[in-house]
Amino acid sequence: MNPSDVFPELQPILEEVTKRFNGRIESSFAPRLNEVYFHARMDFVSGFCAHLFRKWGGRLVSVFADDARAGTGVFHLYYVMALDAAHGFFILRVPISPETPEFLSLTDAMPAVNWQEREIQDLFGLKLRGHPNARRCALHDDWPEVYPLRKDFDLRTVLPPFQGVRHKFREVEGEGVFQVPVGPVHAGIIEPGHFLFSVAGEPVLYLQLRMFYVHKGTEKLFESLPIPHGVRLAESISGDSSFAHATAFCHAVERAAGVEPPPRARALRTVCLELERLYNHIADVGAICTDVAFVTAHMHAMRLKERILRVNEQLTGNRLLRGMACLGGVRFDFNADQLRAIGQLADELEREFNDLIKLTSDNSGLLDRLEGTGVLTPKVARDLGVVGIAGRASGFDHDLRRDFPHAFYDQVQFTVPVFTDGDVQCRFDVRRDEVFQSLAILRQVMGKLPAGPIAVPVGEVPPDRVALGYVEGWRGEIFHWIHTAPGNRLSRCKIKDPSLQNWPALSEAILGNIIPDFPVVNKSFNLSYSGTDR
Amino acid sequence: MNLDPLNFLGQTLALLLLAPLLSGCIKNWKAKLQNRRGPRPWQVYFDIAKFLRKDMVISEHASWVFSFAPYVVFLTALLAGLMVPMINAPAPLRLFGGVLAVVGLLALGRFFLALGGLDPASAFGGMGSSREMTISAIAEPAMMLAIFTVAITAGSTDLSQIAQSTQSATWKLLNPAHVLAFAAMFVVLLAETGRIPVDNPATHLELTMIHEAMLLEYSGRYLAFMEWGASIKQLVLMTLLVNVFFPVGLAGPQASVAALGISLAAYLAKLLALSAVVVVVETTNAKMRLFRVPDLLSTAFVLAALALLSTFLFQ
Repeated sequence: MNPSDVFPELQPILEEVTKRFNGRIESSFAPRLNEVYFHARMDFVSGFCAHLFRKWGGRLVSVFADDARAGTGVFHLYYVMALDAAHGFFILRVPISPETPEFLSLTDAMPAVNWQEREIQDLFGLKLRGHPNARRCALHDDWPEVYPLRKDFDLRTVLPPFQGVRHKFREVEGEGVFQVPVGPVHAGIIEPGHFLFSVAGEPVLYLQLRMFYVHKGTEKLFESLPIPHGVRLAESISGDSSFAHATAFCHAVERAAGVEPPPRARALRTVCLELERLYNHIADVGAICTDVAFVTAHMHAMRLKERILRVNEQLTGNRLLRGMACLGGVRFDFNADQLRAIGQLADELEREFNDLIKLTSDNSGLLDRLEGTGVLTPKVARDLGVVGIAGRASGFDHDLRRDFPHAFYDQVQFTVPVFTDGDVQCRFDVRRDEVFQSLAILRQVMGKLPAGPIAVPVGEVPPDRVALGYVEGWRGEIFHWIHTAPGNRLSRCKIKDPSLQNWPALSEAILGNIIPDFPVVNKSFNLSYSGTDR
Repeated sequence: MNLDPLNFLGQTLALLLLAPLLSGCIKNWKAKLQNRRGPRPWQVYFDIAKFLRKDMVISEHASWVFSFAPYVVFLTALLAGLMVPMINAPAPLRLFGGVLAVVGLLALGRFFLALGGLDPASAFGGMGSSREMTISAIAEPAMMLAIFTVAITAGSTDLSQIAQSTQSATWKLLNPAHVLAFAAMFVVLLAETGRIPVDNPATHLELTMIHEAMLLEYSGRYLAFMEWGASIKQLVLMTLLVNVFFPVGLAGPQASVAALGISLAAYLAKLLALSAVVVVVETTNAKMRLFRVPDLLSTAFVLAALALLSTFLFQ
């Protein structure tokens, strides 16, 4: 591989890694300037990841498998390391033989990959070795021994109905310790997830989460669709991140096809991504208030959110920006009236959101509830690889918009708010500051909106290409990794929603708090069930 | 003194009918202050009528206590209400007891409410019961001290007697004992009626609930009696507050129809004013952290103790 295949910042790292691991890396190639693939053996993984982590500040953002038995006779495991400072991704691929379908766990050293590794075990039937808790995760305990993401599993397979125990919970035992089961069906319009609290009176001793009640086989479904149809499916991965997920998918396909969307398309994508961030952040600010019964602020926040949703509809015909994303660009251009509506919205929001923030910051009772509640220390956040809002509230200074500029983010100025206390108040403050940053980004994009086409044709994507698409959604970083197949289809689409990474952190943040504070702690993370379960 | 049947009937009806309306008014005003349209004030009547018609779903783990509790909660609230003068001074059940009986009846109701929450063995009900008991253990003494303050000045624990003597010319409305006791009683009112900052009556978050958590397993007719009983209890406590501390316009024995009318108008005006204060408190405050609630109630207790002390200091 030629060093000039990658960004200048990546070259020294690439050289150092190649030299250090000479002979153990079987081959490498860089399909894109910031995306380098290395092929090696399973026993090389932990050394490679550890080296990148220690020497170059790399972090493992995604671990997944691909059933490549048809072409190569083996399963492939992929380990995606993000090198934020050098703006690149190093992706390690290792083969797993179908005769000995096992792989080594990294969870002991990197708890951040716990759920992802277990998901591979459940969906591909690759057994984990050395995992401290290798129980079912993505599939429930009643699931028969079949592996849905293997190619020989038919999408239309009908499995026997649920029987027996869905999941065995670990209980804390002792005098005066009680178990409080909550869910999987909750009050309010939210999705299912089971929380089992072990409490001594009100303080929480242990919280066990059971997710994946709404596992829909989305990744498998992608394999059955022509690539352009995948955009619509990507919109439904997590309803509140419709546009971010669809854009991440488009990004991956465009990178695989070697197509760059025109500047105006990238600018409009940025506008929509920021609108999505705005309506979610403002709704969350209100929802955090309502969970401590300060309903007045919530009502104002809902009013502002509704205002944004109506502008969304005016712009794209859909309140949640669905139908806007498409391969190679966006589907609708904005006319002068619509652009003026965005400008007006930004001005109004600036003023009214300021009022809302004043209303909340003047309320000492509210501050008392938010400060020091649900603390996620930077150390724990780092161990669990917590990303996005929750990460930035606990000292994690990363944002794909800044570190891996996609869409139009290389053309605008903004700061990334980072706090280190990791309590509910910090997660509230991250949202508050990001709202103002979003408004600034919107204004900058509107100020230098390029003219020209809003999309370029992508055409048929050649088979056997791999590409990583990424978008900083409002909740955190979203990755879509694709492997193309003949006939403009996908043989694998791996979706990584920030919720999957952040859920385990909730169990840590609630420790030592009292049960009635759980709703507000949970709300301050506001994680997606659907995005986790897929 | 005889039991006046008209007085008895009138007050019973007033308790039964006014209580839901008052709850509805508070809900409606709260919505208005939060920029919402809110339910109509009389929506609570429809809710109760609906619950009364509906079938019940009862946990298989529930015993007779579960079925018994709604009636106890409802009847204790109603009986306590009949011992508090509403629009004319001798309350209908005056002979059966004074302030101690009222506090005792409300405590009995709460005891069964907590049992009803525990009985079906659901995790939320147990949590609610435990929290309710924690809170009432501090709220109840504060309430008794506050009322005793007034009782000592009036020289009687008979509420009708207290109400009448507070109307006499020698009574000073703004004496320090009086004001402190009123402040204590107001905090107790917020706690006992499950209002922000102690409890949130409008939440859907089971884990944060106190009063509502105990009702989660109830449905149909039982739920109707629980809700109705809770609104009557609220009315009783508010009546206690307005008529013992501000008995302006309260009609005496053998009052004329006109006097009764004036008394009714004054009573309603006072109730609505108190409700408005509750609404403002609920709208401008967040709920306290559960472990802070005892601090608030201890404050109420201290206020009440100071009130009692100052009755002797400032005689």
